[in-house]
Amino acid sequence: MFDSIIDPTVGPPAGSVPGQVVLAPRPDSLSGLRLGLLANIKRNAEPFLNEVGRLLGERYGVQTVLARKKADITATAPQQMLDDLCAGCDIVVVGVGDCGSCSASAVADGILLEQAGVPAVVICTDAFKVSADAMADLRGAPGYRYVTTPHPVANLTPDGVRDRAAAAIGDIAGLLTRQASLAA
Amino acid sequence: MTTPVTDPAGQAKAAIEYCYEHGWTDGLPVVPATQADVDACLAMTARGGAEIIGSLDHIGRSITVAQAAANAVMAGCKPEYFPVVLAAWDAVNLERSVRGAWQSTSGPAPLIVVNGPVRGRLGINCAGGVFGPGFRANATIARAIGLIVRNGYGIRPQQLEQATQGLPGRWSLCLGENEELSPWEPFAAVGGVPAGTDAVSAMLIRTCEYVDNRATSSAEAVLADFADTLARLGAYVGGAHSSGGLVLGPEHAQLLAGAGYSRAGVQQWLFTHAVRDRADLAAAGKGEHAAADGGAGGGPFPMLPSAAAIPILVAGAANAAMSMVFRPFGWAPWSGRSVPVAWSQACRDAQRRDDGEVPQ
Repeated sequence: MFDSIIDPTVGPPAGSVPGQVVLAPRPDSLSGLRLGLLANIKRNAEPFLNEVGRLLGERYGVQTVLARKKADITATAPQQMLDDLCAGCDIVVVGVGDCGSCSASAVADGILLEQAGVPAVVICTDAFKVSADAMADLRGAPGYRYVTTPHPVANLTPDGVRDRAAAAIGDIAGLLTRQASLAA
Repeated sequence: MTTPVTDPAGQAKAAIEYCYEHGWTDGLPVVPATQADVDACLAMTARGGAEIIGSLDHIGRSITVAQAAANAVMAGCKPEYFPVVLAAWDAVNLERSVRGAWQSTSGPAPLIVVNGPVRGRLGINCAGGVFGPGFRANATIARAIGLIVRNGYGIRPQQLEQATQGLPGRWSLCLGENEELSPWEPFAAVGGVPAGTDAVSAMLIRTCEYVDNRATSSAEAVLADFADTLARLGAYVGGAHSSGGLVLGPEHAQLLAGAGYSRAGVQQWLFTHAVRDRADLAAAGKGEHAAADGGAGGGPFPMLPSAAAIPILVAGAANAAMSMVFRPFGWAPWSGRSVPVAWSQACRDAQRRDDGEVPQ
């Protein structure tokens, strides 16, 4: 009846959004693997990831080889940064998504790394599950799993950050080793 | 063959519901857009329908001029408003903070400022009740920007848009500058477009707060009142000062100009006086930010980044001495660039005829 009404959402695509994502195969064990850390500039993101790196080393035998920080919380990491991580690492931890833009872009980074064949785990605060999931859908990876930590992270003390990293470390190791699949 | 419409009001309501069902509205009813409506908009602008006016790689969406036109129609714009919508969109996109704005927890609003004869031609309010509502051009031009973001980028509240609270009037702030009662050059002239030219400027803001001061004839007393609001702790996020601007009511503007202040003079006064003691910031838990912004130590902390980064324009009625402080989003001051309205040749010819420059 209303076929003549224009759909205002139809426009040309931008960038290189994938059709269907296949996640990277998981290793059986993290022991001896080279870990990359991709932080954003939100307060406590870097200390959080550093502690994750330390714990993965201490408890799972990972060696941290590369830590990168992206300056733009809205966009995905620069291609060179992603290339460096893919070239030098076997697994990558991304985070911390604790705002509207950076939660979504952290998930996008994780999916880009997966597509390049590197298992990645993204950390977001639980307040931003909706935007994280929306980005996963947009990126052709509906059901993409990530690790949540209670919101907020930005106001934590150094001890608080360490506690949070410790609480998340089991989930992080699990997502990096269990074979993962996306929603059908 | 067209089917005769026996229940036009019912049909109109059904068409509006159709748009709701598709998730195309901002909560208020929209005007369903057809190709003929879009074509009418495109006839007003010098720009082509296929031109891409916005692109967000990280969400994989681009927006064309024609798509913007459909959304402008839906917002309630007349075709002749559309070139102003395009200029407003471009002006918003000049803002350094725009890339993160639509998904941000801050939920900022475009503050759109129109200068030039177009204000009179389209009935863009620049006097009483300028912040609205009540004026179709002001209300629908601002709303069009919101629908373009929602429908063009697919950024919707509680999905990719993560505004914590948002703010009153997010998609409704379009002001004509009251050039006739302003003692200074038009705001767009500050932005590089000569006076007398149709132009749009835009900022992204997080709120507006009034300063009511009808009690004094002292310019410095009024300035001190503005500086107090500009120096408010809550607006300070850390990371590179906060930012603030003024929509002066004509009475305040004329009081300041009468005391010899230029726009730049007002900016300098406010920058110098909008300061807080670092102890105030520390007491509010923001001492760490302030130390990062301006070094540790005692003494006054400038709450604004620079004199030039305090945008000042004039709007409203000359019936009471009040003004509005607004707070730009994301540390970044105004881009400082205004955008001329790109009318089609046919529109320019018609405007010249209306102005009596060429015989009818």
